Amino acid sequence: MHGTMKRKSIAKTDPALFFALITVWLSFAVFIFLPLVRLLLTTFIVDGTVSLANMKKVLGTSYNIKALYGSLILATSVSIAGTFLGYLFALAVTRTNLPKVLKALLGGVTILPLISPPFTSSISLTLALGPNGMLLKAFGISDFSIYGFLGTWLSETLTYFPVAFMVIAAILNTMSATLDDAALSLGASRWRMFKTITIPLSMPGIGNSILLLFGASLADFATPLILGGHAFPVLPTEAYLMITGMFDLRGGATLSFLLLVPAMLVFFLQRMLLGKKSFVSVTGKNGARTEFAKLPTALTIFIALICSLVVVFILYLYAIILWGSFVKVWSVNNSFTLEHYRYVFRHGQKAISDTLLIAVLSTVIGSVLAVVIGYVAQRKQFVGKRFFEFSSLLNYALPGTVVGIAYIIAFNQRPILLTGTLSILVAAYVFRYYATGIRSVVASLEQIDPALEEASLSLGASSVRTFTHVTIPLIIPAVLAGMRYLFIHCMTAISATIFLVSVRWTLLTTRILESMTELQFSQACAFSMILIVIVFIADAIMLYLMKLSTSKFHKSQEISYEKVGA
Amino acid sequence: MKKLQNVVALLVLLALCMGPVFSAGAQESQTKKAGGTVNVYSIMPEKYATKIFEEFTKDTGIRVNFVRLSSGEALARIIAEKANPQVDALWGGPADTYAAGILEGVFDKYVPSEADKIPAQFKSADGYWTGIGVIPLTFLSNAKFLKDKGLTPPTSWNDLLNPAYRNTLQMADARTSGTATERIYSLIMVMGEDEAYAYQKKLHQNIQLYTKGGAGGAMPIATGQAASGVFYIVDALDILQQGYDLVISYPVEGVTYGVEGSGLIRGAKNPEGAKALMDWASSKRLGEVMVANQINYIPTRPDVTVTNPALDMSKVTLLEADVNWKGENRSRLVERWIEEVIQQ
Repeated sequence: MHGTMKRKSIAKTDPALFFALITVWLSFAVFIFLPLVRLLLTTFIVDGTVSLANMKKVLGTSYNIKALYGSLILATSVSIAGTFLGYLFALAVTRTNLPKVLKALLGGVTILPLISPPFTSSISLTLALGPNGMLLKAFGISDFSIYGFLGTWLSETLTYFPVAFMVIAAILNTMSATLDDAALSLGASRWRMFKTITIPLSMPGIGNSILLLFGASLADFATPLILGGHAFPVLPTEAYLMITGMFDLRGGATLSFLLLVPAMLVFFLQRMLLGKKSFVSVTGKNGARTEFAKLPTALTIFIALICSLVVVFILYLYAIILWGSFVKVWSVNNSFTLEHYRYVFRHGQKAISDTLLIAVLSTVIGSVLAVVIGYVAQRKQFVGKRFFEFSSLLNYALPGTVVGIAYIIAFNQRPILLTGTLSILVAAYVFRYYATGIRSVVASLEQIDPALEEASLSLGASSVRTFTHVTIPLIIPAVLAGMRYLFIHCMTAISATIFLVSVRWTLLTTRILESMTELQFSQACAFSMILIVIVFIADAIMLYLMKLSTSKFHKSQEISYEKVGA
Repeated sequence: MKKLQNVVALLVLLALCMGPVFSAGAQESQTKKAGGTVNVYSIMPEKYATKIFEEFTKDTGIRVNFVRLSSGEALARIIAEKANPQVDALWGGPADTYAAGILEGVFDKYVPSEADKIPAQFKSADGYWTGIGVIPLTFLSNAKFLKDKGLTPPTSWNDLLNPAYRNTLQMADARTSGTATERIYSLIMVMGEDEAYAYQKKLHQNIQLYTKGGAGGAMPIATGQAASGVFYIVDALDILQQGYDLVISYPVEGVTYGVEGSGLIRGAKNPEGAKALMDWASSKRLGEVMVANQINYIPTRPDVTVTNPALDMSKVTLLEADVNWKGENRSRLVERWIEEVIQQ
């Protein structure tokens, strides 16, 4: 189905593509390659000559090898468990006849782990399931230890499964319901329809989600920092500890390079798995829009049960934080007070406004870039395409700690002097977290038949007009899904930017971590609540836009159908 | 074609999007008024630094912009930013961090106006850093846990080896925390290096968690998640002041203490502001502000009267550990800790 034309010179045949490529490559050169190269130099150049001394030293320690295994095991189990859970939630919301209120609750509650910094939920998890934890006391369990693999896995799964949910739900929503109709009217059972239509068509979303979660878990340092303990080391945490604790930039950088191997492996694996099959289901040739068929009853009950359990547990964890923000002294003096919020608004105002400005800027710039890159990577043929796609995701695959340090090293000297500015924070966020946007755009494009665009082209529209009038309206839900994630990440991420905040620009997340390390638990809770409320409101707006665009999307689908028909 | 132009315009805009932002940032740093504001990395906790800098601004009219960082992060950043320093001074943090920084050439010498009133062990011999507070190590225990187990507060390092504490101690991780390295220095001063490591291997059996921050274990001990740990006095008193049922005690064998420093960054954009801050810190004012605000560092000026009885060190055995020795041996001791203690 994929019609591709051999082109002699992009510059002549498709000047817009040519220009887009140049622009994007330039931005990659500055914000992805330059920091990485400077970091590489720091790692592999010892006293002016190339040397593997740093690598040998790092690999010679058995604790570091243990950390490598730990990272792989954790990322694998988090990506599987998180994707499974996310898929269940996505099915619950898009394919069941559960009450609307319940669906809204599912959607709303899953956002909570996503919009709070991961260490916040780690802390409430510690209070619930840690030594002497409230839940353990309630159930009379005494020999359970949250520190180690189990706690880290649980916390990361709860933190990242909403990503899977968002990505997969977007894919489930853009499928064509006519296939369901066809299957059912041809006499297939709902089980069979689920197995032969819904699951296979979800594959791009599932693959995408596994990749995203694997990457997120591989790079997360905050959760293992709090819950890993010394028995379960992982690479990003060890790298962070080496840099921040041992003042050993080289060692930390070297350790994190080990992470590149699994990150690349997953990347190529996903391409291999999904590259060959065609997942086109929006062809522009379908008839009237119908509702998606519902899942079998037994499956619906199973899904509802699991989802409810998870929702209750998440609500419980966040109730701890809410409660913590209003009590005088945690677990000692439980009388109600607004004192912490007063403190937060007085001393944290700058952090709040800085964070918002940075997040909004990053989301807008990142989304535009994501659409351009995603479109070019999925639809166009050009030299070095695979490398192009890989480069775009490099900063995302690297642990944030490393990106942060690389940015400091690279942008602290002329000609590009950026440390201490707003731009360095925005750039770090954009080139790290637009990855979700790109993947989301790509996954969505994989389901849309290029014939729609070819029709537009053959009818005489330019490639730019085709892009803006045919492609963009079709992928808007995916773009918005990417934007949501981008914004959320810009509000909550900390690993890269903890190195980039400056005396002029500061972030809410670093303030929360500060409050945590300073034992101001109630203040940390109050800061977290404010962050959560801000993101929740922004997210609701984004969700509303998504809904709006989805209905528009169906209209545009019919329009393009008419065009093709004409 | 018009559409094409639009998209080209959009892409140009995108390419330049960050341009104006860059230059805005650069201009900002160039046009900034000298003298009016001093930029600082503070290793001292934010809540203390906020109060202290407020008083400094009241006294001198100089504003302080600061970010709080852990000692390792602060040093890593100052080294990374060597070519283009973002701050004028480093505030707080253990003296061995300064010793490490001197080796990297990130500090300039500056002897504050009243530094001669500060005893020699609380300042750099070469004038690279000046002490602003002293903090001994202490034991912090949950009173209810002690009562339930029928224990008295630990008064010897060996008390912590009691099996009654199995899986209940929280103390800092040597890789990230100055409190933890101070603990190792103390043990070495008390029993010698090899014995100190043999002790720590035994102690490891009772450890529930090594926390990343020096104060990280204080809250779990306060809430009863953990029973006891080793902390700097400033962190221990801070959580005690919040109203939790806790006990502070000292080992009879003695403890070492940390000296919190302050130093001028080489290539500072506002060296005069940084010097003013260090001058002010060397005066009695800093100690008085600390005492008045219950910021529990022991002032480096002996002529400041401390009111909190918990800071009365006359009955505590304080051991001297040379700052340069600390700085030179830190990495080696931490690596030995990883190899022998946590990996067993």
